[in-house]
Amino acid sequence: MSGLQSLVSHHDVDLANLAAAGDRRAFGELVRRHAAGVRSLLRRMGATPSEADDVAQDTFLTAFESVSEFRGEGAFAGWVKKIAARLYIRRIRREKRLAMIAAESVGEEAPLQKTDAVTRMALDDALIQLPLGERMAVTLCYGAGMSHSEAAEALNLPLGTVKSHVKRGLEKLKARLATSDNSAPTGRLAHG
Amino acid sequence: MADLEFERRLEREFAQSAAFSDEAAFCRSVEARLNQGWTLRRWLIGASGVTGGVIGASQLIMTDFIHRVADLSQGSTRLVESSVSQIRPGMSLLGLVSTDQIVVWVAAGLAIIAIGFVLTRVIEEI
Repeated sequence: MSGLQSLVSHHDVDLANLAAAGDRRAFGELVRRHAAGVRSLLRRMGATPSEADDVAQDTFLTAFESVSEFRGEGAFAGWVKKIAARLYIRRIRREKRLAMIAAESVGEEAPLQKTDAVTRMALDDALIQLPLGERMAVTLCYGAGMSHSEAAEALNLPLGTVKSHVKRGLEKLKARLATSDNSAPTGRLAHG
Repeated sequence: MADLEFERRLEREFAQSAAFSDEAAFCRSVEARLNQGWTLRRWLIGASGVTGGVIGASQLIMTDFIHRVADLSQGSTRLVESSVSQIRPGMSLLGLVSTDQIVVWVAAGLAIIAIGFVLTRVIEEI
């Protein structure tokens, strides 16, 4: 127990170094710290809750396998979120759903989805109303920390398409978040 | 609101995540899968090490290594015996000669263990 307590005080980079040397308890601490962030990111990209959890588990297994590649130049959260985003895109590509993103017509908005969330953050509410392509592009760039080119490569879309998805998505989010700012705040809340 | 300011706000909001009621269960399931993978890997490494050791030892035997070592061992025993007989005539090292084969087999066994150990370490490092 005291071992676990000492891990809690470690920085992510130290934990990653310990994990690279085979310390699974250190990696477990990283999972505890970043699981919610990865699961949220995947849901924001459009994954269903069970899909998000499957991909999040695969993400952490992949991250453990390649944790020695994490050099600590950026945040561990960003590194692991990029892995998650790429795994999710690979999954939807395999299921031929990625083509839907490219084929999606401009201006066509996704119907408001019901999720298992009891309550959500304003951002989540605003995101689910975006067309899938815009939602995906905005989440990759602002949630997973990808550049436009990285997002274009990951989605296998032309750079210009990703840029316009991001631009339109940002405009809509800005308008929706401004509206939500005027209504009651939702805060940090629980998913089911 | 300037675009840059809004983008920063968006990044901050994306960095925040909602709390999940099953967070502990999720972390446990990831750890269980990590441990499962680790156990499987250790078995595979062990099996690979033993297989490598057996293959290495069989190669040694097939290349007549043991007979060469036995000849060498017998030669050195004869040399020691002749030296001893010069010093103390009448003393025999016949008992020592009979242990030659045992020494060879012990050496072969140690070689198997050493090769197995080395292969296991190499595979672990890879």
